[in-house]
Amino acid sequence: MLLNIAELSVKSQEYRKLIIKMIYDGGAGHPGGALSCIDFLNVIYQDEVDFSKKYRSRVVLSKGHAVPAQYAILHDLGFIAESEMKGFRNIDSRLEGHPHALSIPQTDATTGLLGQGLSIGVGMAMGKNIKKDDSQVFVILGDGEMQEGQIWEAIMEAGHYGLSNLVVFVDKNGLSSHCKACEQMNIDPLDEKFKAFNWNATEIDGHDFDAIRSAINNAKSEEHKPTVIIANTVKGKGVSFMENNPQWHSGVISDAEYEIAMQDLATMGVE
Amino acid sequence: MDQKYISLRDYVGKALNAAKEEFPNITVIDSDLDTSTRAHDFAVEHPESFVELGIAESSAVSLAMGMAQEGMIPFYVNFAIFVTGTSWTQLRQACYENANVKILGTHPGMDDGPDGASHHANEDLAITRVIPNITVLVPSNEKEVMQAVKLACEIDGPVYIRVARDLVPERESKNVFVSGKAEIVESVGYDVVLVYEGTAAKQAHEVYDGLTNAGKKPTLVNIRSLKPIDKTLIKEMAKKTERFATIENHTVIGGLGGAIAEELSSFSNPVKLMRFGVQDEFTESGKTADVKKKYGLDSEMIVSSILDEL
Repeated sequence: MLLNIAELSVKSQEYRKLIIKMIYDGGAGHPGGALSCIDFLNVIYQDEVDFSKKYRSRVVLSKGHAVPAQYAILHDLGFIAESEMKGFRNIDSRLEGHPHALSIPQTDATTGLLGQGLSIGVGMAMGKNIKKDDSQVFVILGDGEMQEGQIWEAIMEAGHYGLSNLVVFVDKNGLSSHCKACEQMNIDPLDEKFKAFNWNATEIDGHDFDAIRSAINNAKSEEHKPTVIIANTVKGKGVSFMENNPQWHSGVISDAEYEIAMQDLATMGVE
Repeated sequence: MDQKYISLRDYVGKALNAAKEEFPNITVIDSDLDTSTRAHDFAVEHPESFVELGIAESSAVSLAMGMAQEGMIPFYVNFAIFVTGTSWTQLRQACYENANVKILGTHPGMDDGPDGASHHANEDLAITRVIPNITVLVPSNEKEVMQAVKLACEIDGPVYIRVARDLVPERESKNVFVSGKAEIVESVGYDVVLVYEGTAAKQAHEVYDGLTNAGKKPTLVNIRSLKPIDKTLIKEMAKKTERFATIENHTVIGGLGGAIAEELSSFSNPVKLMRFGVQDEFTESGKTADVKKKYGLDSEMIVSSILDEL
């Protein structure tokens, strides 16, 4: 049974708290991009990834710095113990600063060097086709990451081979590490670019669970092309002082900031 | 008896086809050069397992990681400069994950003479062997290419196989190719222990012959597996000889010469090491034989340098 929207929303709220706590406990990290992608990552894992199956859908977090989002979910799913959560980015911990599939196999792909994850996803999608596995591959790209050349190699490959089992989310929070991504190097119009490479392209509010679910279902019913879901998101979503603030791409959360963030998240969604 | 020479790339497709019988999950990834690398023979036999990516080398190695995650045994086959150099961080990530990817580089060292220094992979051994988890194999004859491809499939992790485009002597191996074991090809004494990597087999044999013709007593060692390296054999040789000479189609820094230097440095008895290969410089276009002769892989020069020492 799929979770309803209210249940998804509660999960996302809990995940946001875990993200902040992990980064606070760990001493530093990248909260902005983890908070922006958590809602659709939540839906992908809840709806589409069944870890009990031999052949299952995969998730490649190409924007690997957002890994606290992935760890929060994998913790909730029972793959990362409570006792491990404090170790994020610290020595003698499985919780590396970027996804490492050798440390935590459920992360599916080792990323962290931007630009490489979509190619990994293309390889997975091709592998699934060869072994006649009808599950999907979900790849999460950052909008700033779209500036990497290798991304466009992979977009070309997926379009050329019509990999309909490949679904890409672009976490379009508009900010790169220090400023607006578009001012630094414009990537727009993304939808037209993808379409020109033989992809389906759709644009949604990346925090709207109904829209996320429906975009994924549309992507799954497509038979001839890969799909990109351009998810317009808010970097730092849910934490007042982090929202749309490029300074929170990465940073150290002070005690006082931690208190404010937790208060913000406790009341998130409550009018 | 006249020595026959062969190009090892001619066995790439054959080796992949043979291995496919035993390892049906093999896939081959190409970047528009399958006729040059001879992966084309595999493409003809197994079109369903052959992926043409066009000229996108960085993506190819990451893509291989994804295929490996889905249970394939992907071989990315391309020129050595591209599989190791253009895609180095991608390869490093694959190794970090201990992904079951195989990269096979043809045209190593100066084997692509006329194309010039841009295409000469004189650093591929150095930049691959420094990465943790990877196995680096340097086959020197037809059978070793066949065995290296099979061995790569048996290893659960990243493997680099370096395959000569230029000619090497056609000869039989003394024993089966296994990871971490070198082969003593010839041995009449220990005046000098010559160690070579597969793509410099021709020059190494010529040096061995040159020294024996001059009345010296050398030993000839085919390293075969650069990483892991045969520490036992090197140690055994170091006890018997005062001189090592390495012969490689590569810069003398960080490749075979570098690896042997690292091993010898751990012994208390001093052993002299002469490293023959490219001397920390960029090469130039020319007939492959001319480029090799000018840039350090000149058997006559090597023989006379060693004779000066003896």
